[in-house]
Amino acid sequence: MNDINRRNFLKKSGALLTGSLAVPSFLNGADYRGETLQVWSCGGLAEAFIPANLYFEGITKSSINYSGAFAAALGKSLLGNARTEVFAPRVLGLSKKLKAQGKLLSFVPLCYTKYVLITPKGNKSGITTIDDLAKPGIKVVLSPNASPPGGGATLAIMKKAGVLEKAKANAIHKGDCVQRDVNLIINGEGDAAIVEKRITCLPSVKGKVESFDIPEEYIPAKPVPFVIGIMKWVKNRDLADNFIKFITSEKGQSYFTKSGFISAISDEGKRLTEKYGVRDE
Amino acid sequence: MSSFVNGNNRIKWLLQTISLVVLGEFAFYGIFRCPFSIPFVSCESCPVIQCPGRKLFLVLWIVILGSAVISGRVFCGYSCPVGTVSEILGKLVVIKRKRRDKVKYKKFFFYGKYIFLIASFLIIIVFNNPRWAIPIRIGDFFNSIKLTIEHANSLWIVRTIFIAGAIGTSLFLSRIWCRYLCPAGGMLEIIKGFSIFKYFMTSDCNNCNECSKVCTMETRPSELNCTNCGECKDVCPVNAIRFGMKFNA
Repeated sequence: MNDINRRNFLKKSGALLTGSLAVPSFLNGADYRGETLQVWSCGGLAEAFIPANLYFEGITKSSINYSGAFAAALGKSLLGNARTEVFAPRVLGLSKKLKAQGKLLSFVPLCYTKYVLITPKGNKSGITTIDDLAKPGIKVVLSPNASPPGGGATLAIMKKAGVLEKAKANAIHKGDCVQRDVNLIINGEGDAAIVEKRITCLPSVKGKVESFDIPEEYIPAKPVPFVIGIMKWVKNRDLADNFIKFITSEKGQSYFTKSGFISAISDEGKRLTEKYGVRDE
Repeated sequence: MSSFVNGNNRIKWLLQTISLVVLGEFAFYGIFRCPFSIPFVSCESCPVIQCPGRKLFLVLWIVILGSAVISGRVFCGYSCPVGTVSEILGKLVVIKRKRRDKVKYKKFFFYGKYIFLIASFLIIIVFNNPRWAIPIRIGDFFNSIKLTIEHANSLWIVRTIFIAGAIGTSLFLSRIWCRYLCPAGGMLEIIKGFSIFKYFMTSDCNNCNECSKVCTMETRPSELNCTNCGECKDVCPVNAIRFGMKFNA
């Protein structure tokens, strides 16, 4: 075995070892062949859930029947006659409502979102803070008619920062779809917009915009926390418990971090759990 | 090229089947899952992760428009999944044949696809193709349709019932969507006027209309709604149907 082969061998062995260590221990030997778990989540989490579900399915031989859509819409359906086994909504109030109805049995913190200021690559307008949205001549892109986390929340941030009226006056576009409106920033038609950090991690956006933090005091509490919980219609409780345990494990949470969310088990996540009172009481 | 396009039903159905497999899912998503008012055009940044249109739509529109320049509404005749479904529905029911010649008010519907084309352009350009439904980003087949319908606004419901209903009427009136209502068909009909290759009638035509009787679009070569499918070529009793460059017409 020459040097190169030895190096390759060690590299591959290391990768295999790391891969096997990455499997959460509670999933060792888990076999749910033929079992299906229906999971609904806020649509914004889809980019994280899709690979996480695939990983879980691969390890446990189970099948995750996943739907991701605007949480308020799914919540409305669940408050009505719809059913699912695991639900991961945004907005703590919705989880509490479902719990009060006896439909959500229990929940745990899942992750947190973060809002950022974005500019085109190169940031020719020199925007670095939310106050810059009020400067004359800055071409602001708004999505006031998008679903609340993308529309209403961003307006609330501007309002708290005291720039809403001037930013509205600077708006060159008032759209209804954040994922579409963000193209105006990518192609340089707009100078700035406020979006969830997760948007900057989408394949179509990643690396094509610059982003700047927004002070936390401006960010409304409502859209920030996500939880995950078991619904009363769960068929295989053991499978659902292990799924949630996996999603909230280090391995599961890595998918959410990669998609632009703050992991609930990170130090920052734990701080936000305390701050927003994300507790199943 | 003529031998390829002319009246070979097997090739036509083969292409339609392939197209149905490749584009059928996209068409389905466009009608039943697309959150935008006008489907098939805002795909690049659409939040519906599952829709194949995110990858297909640009190439597809280039192919559709390119094929229109080459041979008019050939996409409608050979590849459009909605056209294929309408055609299959049309072939299922015998009553259509009996009613075909009794259809009145054809002229009234004549401008339909152009009106819808203008309306679609206005909605896209002036209103930036607004969202009329909440996108179900990912989900299983029936649940996603159910949720989309449940959380769509009334305009989306009207739009979807109208499209699905119009396609469904093919059971009674041959390809009514394709002939009178499809805005894309309207656009291709306009481009068709400048297309290079087409079926046309020679001076030998005796106006027996045998060609329009076999045509699912109920038309004659190179006339309004002709898709250059070539199904009529072999039924002409005086062999007056040809395929070639438009200068020959």
